[in-house]
Amino acid sequence: MSFLGAIRWQDLVDVLLNSYILFRFYVLFRGTVVLRVLAGIALLWVFQRLAVGMGLIVTSWAMQGIIAGAALIIIIVFRNEIRNVLQAKNLRALLWGVPQKSVSTPIDAIVEAVYDLARKRIGALIVVPGKEDIQEIVQGGVHWDGTVSKEMLISIFWNGNPVHDGAAILQGSRVTRVGGILPLSLRDDLPQRYGTRHRAAAGLAEQTDALVLVVSEERGQAVAAKGNHFIPIQDNLTLKRILAEHLGAAHASPKGRMRESRELAIAAGVCLLCMAGVWFSFAKGMETLISVEVPLEYLNRDPRMQIMSTSVNTLRLHLSGSSVLISSLRPYQVKAKLDLGKASGGMNTFNLSKENIVLPPGLWLNRIEPPEVHVALDMPVNKELPIQVDWVGSLPDGLLLESVSVLPAKIMVVGAQRVLDSISTIYTERVRLDNLQVSGQLTTPLTLDTSGIRILEGSKDRVEVRYTIRRRSP
Amino acid sequence: MRVHLPTIGLCLIGLLVSAIPGQAANDVVADPAGQVFRLVRAVMCESIEAYEPRYIAVAFPVTAGRISFYTSFDGVTDTTFIEHKWYRRDELITVKRLTLRPPNWATFSSIQLREADKGPWRVEIWDARSELIQTLRFSVIE
Repeated sequence: MSFLGAIRWQDLVDVLLNSYILFRFYVLFRGTVVLRVLAGIALLWVFQRLAVGMGLIVTSWAMQGIIAGAALIIIIVFRNEIRNVLQAKNLRALLWGVPQKSVSTPIDAIVEAVYDLARKRIGALIVVPGKEDIQEIVQGGVHWDGTVSKEMLISIFWNGNPVHDGAAILQGSRVTRVGGILPLSLRDDLPQRYGTRHRAAAGLAEQTDALVLVVSEERGQAVAAKGNHFIPIQDNLTLKRILAEHLGAAHASPKGRMRESRELAIAAGVCLLCMAGVWFSFAKGMETLISVEVPLEYLNRDPRMQIMSTSVNTLRLHLSGSSVLISSLRPYQVKAKLDLGKASGGMNTFNLSKENIVLPPGLWLNRIEPPEVHVALDMPVNKELPIQVDWVGSLPDGLLLESVSVLPAKIMVVGAQRVLDSISTIYTERVRLDNLQVSGQLTTPLTLDTSGIRILEGSKDRVEVRYTIRRRSP
Repeated sequence: MRVHLPTIGLCLIGLLVSAIPGQAANDVVADPAGQVFRLVRAVMCESIEAYEPRYIAVAFPVTAGRISFYTSFDGVTDTTFIEHKWYRRDELITVKRLTLRPPNWATFSSIQLREADKGPWRVEIWDARSELIQTLRFSVIE
């Protein structure tokens, strides 16, 4: 618990921000399969961590693979639901608002229609979709664009109507499709009295969040299929309540609003707990230590100055932090920088501190080796230096190299003042004497073996050498 | 002063000399009293014989064993001194102070050559007021 005292304001923001993001996910996708799948993946992650903790190598590996692929699977499988959420809402609704359904579906008309259909023993299948898209699940049918009314619904399911056998799909206040074919449920625990119409209602309700109303032709009874359940409709009030809850109209009442507020508050609390748990799982194990070697970057050098020498070019940093963060640490995430903006010519000494080190969040700097750096800066200057030939080898016996002249005799070089102060001659590349027997001339390049020195632009890097060879007199 | 290399064999002689045309260096300098004297000749040689440099050259085999830097002056009005500073590349190897006496004077300094001495060299002549009079460049070869 000692690390609680080390919690920074950034950590609090971190937890709160991610809790809110998680909460928004819940708000936007609640009631859909997406949220259930996300919850499943979260559960998998918990199992995977447990498996790692218990040392179950293959299990943890397999779960890790499933979780890694889950993001892609969610996007592909639930693309329609995700699109609905993102397209139908503005930025404010995405970030702040709690989606409130504007109930345009005429509940009373449906209730009355179902009541009449049941009373007249006219079989009916009415689909009231939820948040999920059912277009890909409902097959066939005829496009319809009629306003929902009691008469309309009764006429659709009237026996003489060619599309009366299928399902009528409602969207808001419109009947969008009739004669639709629903997927049949494969459950074997349905009551015997339920026929194909009930099985179709169960099939769609199992796969989506739609509410499907079924009116039995034989018994004149109505039931509502939602999820894996059939809800018997005893009276109009029951049906009205079911429809109101399904369409979100129930929340409009004070009691419904209170229930929704309580639900959201619980969800917010759970999100906060989850994120706090994740944060603590990262933050625990602060005692984990690591030592990394990073290059020291020198910044903001006066462009007129040159770095002549540095006491170090790499630093060894001793870090502590969560074992999770440390094990995922990449070299490029740690940087060591030294600002030379205030450095002057000559030797500068800098004491290194945490201000010089860039670390990813969650890692702490314990020590820097070495704690100080010496940097020598100097101003580049021009200097004219004489050129000397670097003779090697040996002359044939009896010969003397009597005189040498170099053209040009001097050359202008550019380099740091301190370096140039210690140099008084520029030498040619090595010139062998072995094959020289008579006076003559040759051309040879210059060598600049001192770092930071270069020939002034425009000057030649080769010189002409004229030499006189004389026979050694006895 | 770093005199660990090479072994220095220093000989000083006072010589009355006359200028040799063609090899004279007409550097005119002042002695400490402010009077002017002139560098007449500055050459590298393998040896000094009869007060004269012998086998004057700018490249000397290390097998020569010993080389000398010969300088002569005229117009010396008062006893003063000069320095021969020997450098291998840019490393100062030795400094030798040599006396000049009126009116004309020749003097030289020598070094013993070793294998490690191969490479480009230079010798600088400095006066008593620490002013550079002349630089002579040569090489020690195989």
